[in-house]
Amino acid sequence: MTRREMLLGTSAAAAGAALSGCGKAARKFPVSNVSIVKASGYTMDVYDTVYRMVAGHNLNVRGKRIVLKPNLVEYDARTSINTHPTIVHAVYEAFLKLGAGDVRIAEGPGHRRGTLDLADAAGYFSTIAKFEDSFTDLNTDAVAKRRIPQPLSKLSSLYLPHTVLDCDLLVSVAKMKTHHWAGATLSMKNLFGLVPGAVYGWPKNVLHWAGIPETIVDLHHLFPKQFAIVDGIVGMEGNGPIQGTPKYAGVLVAGRDPAGVDATCCRVMGIDPKQIEYLRLARGEENLVEGAFRQVGENIRSVRTDFALVEEWKQIRAA
Amino acid sequence: MTDWKTRQNGDGGWAYSRGCSWTEPTVFVLLAQAASTPDRESLLKGIRFLSSIGRRDGGCSPQPGVEESTWVTALVALLPEDAVNGQQRRRAIDWLKSRTGQESGWSYKLRQRLSGNKDEFPEGWPWFPGAAAWVIPTSLGILAFERAIRRQDPETDELQKRVQEGKRFLLGRMCADGGWNHGSSRALGRDGDSYPETTGIALLALSGGVVSARDASQMERAKAAAHRHLANCRTAEGIAWLRMGLAAHGENAAGAVEPVRRTNMDEALMTLAGAERNPLLA
Repeated sequence: MTRREMLLGTSAAAAGAALSGCGKAARKFPVSNVSIVKASGYTMDVYDTVYRMVAGHNLNVRGKRIVLKPNLVEYDARTSINTHPTIVHAVYEAFLKLGAGDVRIAEGPGHRRGTLDLADAAGYFSTIAKFEDSFTDLNTDAVAKRRIPQPLSKLSSLYLPHTVLDCDLLVSVAKMKTHHWAGATLSMKNLFGLVPGAVYGWPKNVLHWAGIPETIVDLHHLFPKQFAIVDGIVGMEGNGPIQGTPKYAGVLVAGRDPAGVDATCCRVMGIDPKQIEYLRLARGEENLVEGAFRQVGENIRSVRTDFALVEEWKQIRAA
Repeated sequence: MTDWKTRQNGDGGWAYSRGCSWTEPTVFVLLAQAASTPDRESLLKGIRFLSSIGRRDGGCSPQPGVEESTWVTALVALLPEDAVNGQQRRRAIDWLKSRTGQESGWSYKLRQRLSGNKDEFPEGWPWFPGAAAWVIPTSLGILAFERAIRRQDPETDELQKRVQEGKRFLLGRMCADGGWNHGSSRALGRDGDSYPETTGIALLALSGGVVSARDASQMERAKAAAHRHLANCRTAEGIAWLRMGLAAHGENAAGAVEPVRRTNMDEALMTLAGAERNPLLA
């Protein structure tokens, strides 16, 4: 039995318990808007595209404290691991233009300890003026302990950074990628980067031992005020989230409901969202069907781009 | 020379970069001061901060507000005699003795054996209790135990055994390119690339000698990987650890560039890398 099999074995049992719910009726979720917008590349046009997309969701952000959480993991010039800095900057500008009182970019990478060095290598310093002034390293930010309400994982509490605990809206600015442990990593899995490395280490392996899908959902529940944007212009297929290959999909996906955004991204990637365990745990299968979300902009069929899947994940391919 | 006093927080500790104090940067700044010209007043305030992170179980927390002893316990055990007293060090070493990665616990090993996995699981150290062992905390654990052995710890044999286990762990996690990353050398059958900083710290931890001829040949590959990284590395953290790791093997080398020092950790590590005698090996 590999570590992955062991972890998935325990999570499957927990998922079964959570979904069976002792015979209770399945929970219903309100139908949320998920927008899909075509974007051909990381060019100046994308600033206007992102602004229109965010504005279309009628978020009340005037005077609010916004934290943007990109996916910044490792840098390798040969592939597309991180949320592109142009997208992060475009989202940053969009929220300022919409009247946000303060917009911070914040991330706590899981492998590399030199977060600023990583951000520099990934192009964040050269793309975003005075990047360091608007950035918080979540791995080393001040922390507070938070109890997890009704945890699905083996964790009962987590230390979390004040920057994200104190914000009015957390915006997950994720990358569209396959993931060798979770199937796909999108806006919900991106929240692993909120967990402080200075407490839990690099990697934040406590989350893996507590159950990957379960901790994804637990973290999601700890932050009820979220918005999600996924950079799928160039994503990653195959052995993601680090060793895969770049995949052009030419889309941005956004919405107030991260699970809805991630389920839609899965469909864009040719993945059945009902096969992604953390989405099942978060919503239940019946709330992951296509009609569960109101698609705005492009329809999924017009942008579907099948991402290559490694052998271990072939079963998640959508029909 | 870095003015550590102006960067010191009111509680006596230092931040990683800016903001609140943490144990790790405080320890590294104190070590850097020990390796250069210490400011007595600043040093005493730093030591006072460290008294606030000691826990009843003998370990140390990464920050006063965190109610858990973690990997930083090894760092505290590496401080010079005037910064941590004998009893504190003894308690820290005892705490470390009782901690291993979750994968070397009997229940995990039993499950692996029952499923036909014959891999060995040498005992390293985790970042946080209840998780697996990884390269950096294991390297620091080895350094802390070797220091205790040099100080003629009464339980030298037991510490020596853990040191050898830790070294086996590190050698088993070496990447195909000869260096180390955080500790995941292969994923889904694909080799992972090593990082400069983890290659440097693992080399440092392995400087006290390895066991077999095969290990010795692995060390030659590791040093070659470190030199390759050093020729390309641009970060202070990476360059500092690589220089410390290579110097511990008698190979002095400078980085190809003078790196930008962005954080207190960068400053402290670069000071240690430039020191005549590395206090981590004292």
